[in-house]
Amino acid sequence: MNRDDRSCPEAQPPENSEQQESGSVNRREFLSSATVAGLAAASVGTTDKAAAQQVASNESAPGALPPTAVQEAMESEIPAGYSAEEAREYFVRNPGSDFMVDVIKRLGLDYITTNPGSSFRGIHESIVNYGGNQAPELLTCVHEEQAAAMAHGYFKVTGRPLGVLCHGTVGMQHASMAVYNAWCDRTPMILLAGNHLDATERRAGVEWSHSAQDCVRVVRDYIKWDDTPFSLQHYAESMARAYRIAMTPPMGPVAVVIDGHLQEAEVGDHAPELLPMTPVQPPVGDEAAIAEAARWLVEAESPVIVADLMAHDQTGVERLVALAEALQVPVVNQFGRTNFPNTHYLAQGAAAVAQADVVLGLELFDTWGVINTLRDRVHRDAVRRARPDARVISIGTNDLFTKSNYQNFQRYYPSDLAIAGDAQATLPILTDAVLSSMLRSRRATNAERETRWRNAHASAREQALNEARYGWNASPVSTSRLYAELWNVVRDRDWALVSDDNLQSRWARRLWPIERHHQYIGRSGGAGLGYGAPAAVGAALAHRADGRLAVNVQRDGDMMYTPGAFWTAAYHGIPLLTVTHNNQGYHQEFMHLQRMAARRQRGIDGSSWVGNELRNPDIDLARIASAMGVWTEGPVTDPDDLGPALGRAVEVVDGGEPAFVDVRCQPR
Amino acid sequence: MKLSLRNTRSAGRGVLVISLWALGSTVAYTQEPDDDVREGRALYDSHQCWQCHGYEGQGSVAGVRIAPTLYPYEAFARLVRHTNLMPAYSPNVLSEEQLRLIYAFVQSIPEPPPLEDIPELDFE
Repeated sequence: MNRDDRSCPEAQPPENSEQQESGSVNRREFLSSATVAGLAAASVGTTDKAAAQQVASNESAPGALPPTAVQEAMESEIPAGYSAEEAREYFVRNPGSDFMVDVIKRLGLDYITTNPGSSFRGIHESIVNYGGNQAPELLTCVHEEQAAAMAHGYFKVTGRPLGVLCHGTVGMQHASMAVYNAWCDRTPMILLAGNHLDATERRAGVEWSHSAQDCVRVVRDYIKWDDTPFSLQHYAESMARAYRIAMTPPMGPVAVVIDGHLQEAEVGDHAPELLPMTPVQPPVGDEAAIAEAARWLVEAESPVIVADLMAHDQTGVERLVALAEALQVPVVNQFGRTNFPNTHYLAQGAAAVAQADVVLGLELFDTWGVINTLRDRVHRDAVRRARPDARVISIGTNDLFTKSNYQNFQRYYPSDLAIAGDAQATLPILTDAVLSSMLRSRRATNAERETRWRNAHASAREQALNEARYGWNASPVSTSRLYAELWNVVRDRDWALVSDDNLQSRWARRLWPIERHHQYIGRSGGAGLGYGAPAAVGAALAHRADGRLAVNVQRDGDMMYTPGAFWTAAYHGIPLLTVTHNNQGYHQEFMHLQRMAARRQRGIDGSSWVGNELRNPDIDLARIASAMGVWTEGPVTDPDDLGPALGRAVEVVDGGEPAFVDVRCQPR
Repeated sequence: MKLSLRNTRSAGRGVLVISLWALGSTVAYTQEPDDDVREGRALYDSHQCWQCHGYEGQGSVAGVRIAPTLYPYEAFARLVRHTNLMPAYSPNVLSEEQLRLIYAFVQSIPEPPPLEDIPELDFE
């Protein structure tokens, strides 16, 4: 479509319906003939399961439902009682947004999260009526931050990105916080931003306020790529490119602007073409460098592996187990993802780093922070935690793509051997290299190492259980008891924790057996509040298909940013057990204020409540969730009441609905 | 050893539940706390030791467990004032007497139930 076509879609109208049919390519005929072998698989192959599903999805595309008789009539005939001129003025038979939906279906997006807006009303209608609201299905959100965070949580369970449909202006601004979290957490999503670029066609008033020259600018510092397509063909290519870039490690969000006129106007005489795509394989580390890394690891006396944003799926977990067992080397899982079963005897605490002579870092968010620490004193000084002679090998994709402004890339650390490549994809080669270079004499030390780490693991487990007793009968409820009581309602089920436990003293990771990739999906990434509830709902949606019990331990401060996510869970029937860690304040900030007051010798006698407490009036979180249509109970203050309350809540979740239990808890 | 810094007032025996209305925090004691313990608890609350160490001194990732008392007073005081594991509370903001009262409270916190009495912690 050229520029003239865009501005005057009715410039060359056919005389009648017959001429319409003969004078242009019929869209449905075009679609039916556009089954291109290999058109599938925009997925990049980092997640084998996702890639397989992607291929399957594309093989069955296009997914548009057969047209109804009414639709056929609308599209091919002038409605009775209308002149041809009136029909051209009133009706569109082949809107551009239908083609946009076909492209989305080809990409295999399961859902599109959205808060409705006029700048994308065209594609909204196409998704619902032309696409049948199936694959993608629209998920109604009450805030764009919620919409983006839901996509974040969904991807971390399935390995499949969602679309996030929003106004390019006000919607993108609302979404930006959640996009930043996803960027820091290497999570792809496809932002679809409605906009009206042609000023001469904007309706007066709000359509101007909701248009921008460059609406993606607000998030460009923390997405991988964006484009503003000028034609439908341009859109098709940009969507395919966006998907591929988003899914290539290091993964991250991308954005495509969908112009309002492009959505609403006729496709025109030159029908756009769907494009074949081939899967992109993830980057693998250099073979010679991997061989060198293997030699270091085999020759080391006390090596350690530290993994953070490493495993894309269960395959990654299994590959790391294979490497660790080959070397009998401890693994420190930083739990950006579940990289390693915490029940495995080689799962060890961070103290293992201090003893190591070789440290292998896999997709570390912060390599410097593994080797060193910066003490929070008047004069911030760095202290090396690792041995002075420890050599560091890093394998990861950090250096393959990053941006400058936001500093989430952490402090620079000059690893002794830095290998650029996706760690999960590189692990089998590294393991093979380790096994082939390991002499019999070296293998003999494995048994000794195994005994040592089995003992250490058992000791740590015993210590964790013992520590969990302290504060057991206290009110507010201790965080260890919170997780112990929760465990007793999930232990006999197929469960998944869809929140992180960093601010609950990591009791899930210390107590619960976490062995599968989907059972713990890590942190928010950017530590921006508002992630918890919507990411949990997105992850729970992903688990719904498998009938899994999704559990969200929800912080009170975080919940107040995006409580509307619970409405979406109720509206769409997403089963989710939410239990609050309600400590009635921003406790991280309490502690910062305490530190400042102590450092300045002014004392903190009562004053740390100022600016930090969420009391007086107390926030009734259960009533908030209840108002969103969710079954609720609480606040629970007596620890003995917690177990029965959780039991009742699980019955509700078993019925396919969300449930919410507010629990007044200890600070950490 | 339990320190007694002030004259204590005994008021019966048995289980007493201290209700701290400001915090909504309760803990069961096997005997009535004396004035030192009460004052120590009030200081523990107002100086917000619980932010990191928990209402019962059970500790967290933000602060080590300090109850039931693991340290003699001298070690406890050093932890608070000098170790730099936590913000250094100088005598200008927390006097020696106040710190001893807090220590008295920490000492009074009873042992938790044994592991075998907590079925919820049976992870086998």
